[in-house]
Amino acid sequence: MKEFKQNDKIALKVGGSITVKRKLGEGGQGIVYLVEMNGKQYALKWYTHDCTKEFYDNLDNNIKNGAPTDSFLWPQFLTEWHEKRFGYIMALRPDEFKEFSHFLLAKARFGSLSAMIHAALQISNAFRALHRKGYSYQDLNDGNFFIHPITGEVLICDNDNVAPYGKNLGIAGKCRYMAPEVVLRKSLPNADTDRFSLGVLLFMLLFNNHPLEGKLIASVPCLTDQMERRFYGSSPVFIFDPKNDTNHPVMGVHTNAIRRWPIFPQYIKDAFIHIFGAEGIHEPNKRNPENEWIKLFMRLRDETVKCSCGNETFINMEVSESNCINCGKQLGKPMTLNVGRSRIVMFPGKKAYAIHTKAGSEDFLKITGEVIQNKNKPALWGMRNISADTWMCTMPDGKQKTISNNDVVPVLNGISIVFGGGVKGEITE
Amino acid sequence: MSILDSVSIPRRTMVLFFLVDTSGSMDGDKIGAVNEAIREVLPEIKAISAENADALIKIAVLDFSSGARWLYNTPIEADQFVWNNLEAGGLTDLGVAFNMLNDKLSRTQFMADAVGSYAPAIFMMSDGEPTDEYKKGLAELRRNKWFKVAIKVAVAIGSDANTEILKEFTGNDECVLTVRTPASLKKMIRFASVTASQIGSKSSGVGLGDDSDADTNQKAADFAGQIKTFQQDSIDVDDVQNGW
Repeated sequence: MKEFKQNDKIALKVGGSITVKRKLGEGGQGIVYLVEMNGKQYALKWYTHDCTKEFYDNLDNNIKNGAPTDSFLWPQFLTEWHEKRFGYIMALRPDEFKEFSHFLLAKARFGSLSAMIHAALQISNAFRALHRKGYSYQDLNDGNFFIHPITGEVLICDNDNVAPYGKNLGIAGKCRYMAPEVVLRKSLPNADTDRFSLGVLLFMLLFNNHPLEGKLIASVPCLTDQMERRFYGSSPVFIFDPKNDTNHPVMGVHTNAIRRWPIFPQYIKDAFIHIFGAEGIHEPNKRNPENEWIKLFMRLRDETVKCSCGNETFINMEVSESNCINCGKQLGKPMTLNVGRSRIVMFPGKKAYAIHTKAGSEDFLKITGEVIQNKNKPALWGMRNISADTWMCTMPDGKQKTISNNDVVPVLNGISIVFGGGVKGEITE
Repeated sequence: MSILDSVSIPRRTMVLFFLVDTSGSMDGDKIGAVNEAIREVLPEIKAISAENADALIKIAVLDFSSGARWLYNTPIEADQFVWNNLEAGGLTDLGVAFNMLNDKLSRTQFMADAVGSYAPAIFMMSDGEPTDEYKKGLAELRRNKWFKVAIKVAVAIGSDANTEILKEFTGNDECVLTVRTPASLKKMIRFASVTASQIGSKSSGVGLGDDSDADTNQKAADFAGQIKTFQQDSIDVDDVQNGW
């Protein structure tokens, strides 16, 4: 099979054809081309090895079912077979999105902590949606993600091994990212093994080092199959395992993790300690579900504020004083809006989302309120209603006030707000 | 420094070795094609290394004729590597080459990276018979732990190459490829070095049962599989009819 040339036409399964423009890249499984269909550009992934009918039918089925969320660069059309090979069409990745490996290699960096947290939320949400549809991804690794460094938006590619529960298309994957039972071939990839890989990716996203690569692995001259099975399969040890320091990070080698681990709140650390601890490693059904990651990252987002130094930092709600992680400035303990289990720090720029203020909503992206600062009196803060709902607020003296769209609730200790649908909040010190 | 600034994640090293026969019979279009092909494939290897969060690729070159020489006295990172044309002339001292490779496949020599290595990939090209005593050197090389786990591939250039020795070198039949024209030599050098770099520099899929101590080599197996597919795909009529 020769490579396609410019202006070659390839027939699609649904009829019609695409025109090859140029080669974009090549990987172990296939070649990616820039193609055109009806005047619009797409990416074509063409397999360079023989494929089974089962593989083709599975992709066809995934196309019919549609993408779980907008984060997926989901297959859109299949080509016809060319002997034993074929390809599929997907949307092109915009240039502003950088490969996850570029973040790991320090060639790209997040513009803010908020962008990093947003990326973590998006990835967790994408896999929650994928698993809720009854799929598993099966081959999560650093090559599957593109991230916008400023917004934290995420695009997930290589969705061709996605398969319904109980089905596996023979993908091997990369053992740095596999669940231990997949490394040891005791299990085929499934949703539980995906959740382990998700933990690895989230750790790498936040700490820019691998969670299982510390002192032990750094001292191995040649990483053979046997060694890979040991460190990722039969006896993995978390680099921040509180009970076992044999694999702790090495100064001058695991620099990012050593710098970043101390600044994150304990509940984030605990989640990683769990997934890379005895339960997370050995009991696949006890791994942190996506829902839990979403809650944790939402909490982290609720506690992330912009310091006067211009950088973002975390407010620790458990203590009376937080210091900026960048400039060290004391930030006290700001007031919070308490809704359900959420405590949103009432700091200028902070936002409330539909998941906070709308009954039954899971939407953590739609903004419904934003804390603003009075231009003339900077000490006066308020939360603007930017939802379509009318809120009812009760002042500390008992007076009631309706807060329609664009109106502002002052940030004062003791104010309570009824957002509607039985959702109530209170601002407290 | 902002907490968002970071340094690159530590990467292991994967050394790609080129062992090139520069004996007199390689003179002319054979050595010309080798020089061209390696020069052309270097940017691709550089790109594989640059995008790779698992490992960085370094390159080492040994040419052998009457005696043998390392092009540089240490493996060079792919993005720094400059290819100097090799000239052909002299005998085929394969035994010397095996000994010199064996010496460098050691933690104190070429495999000295501080955060460790992946198994190397070793790519040998030859067009003839050894003119020295090679057996002892090959036997010793085959006992070298780094050599044992390496991805190995050999290209026999033309019909005079001793493929039996090359098979002993790679340890299997699949990874010995015979080429008979400059075009197919270039194609094979590109495919073998790109594929060996891709597979060798990534975390493997391991597997093969749940015996965690099993002495497997998934990367070498994956590589052999891809070479086989490539050969089936690229049978060239010209190669059969004409050429060396």
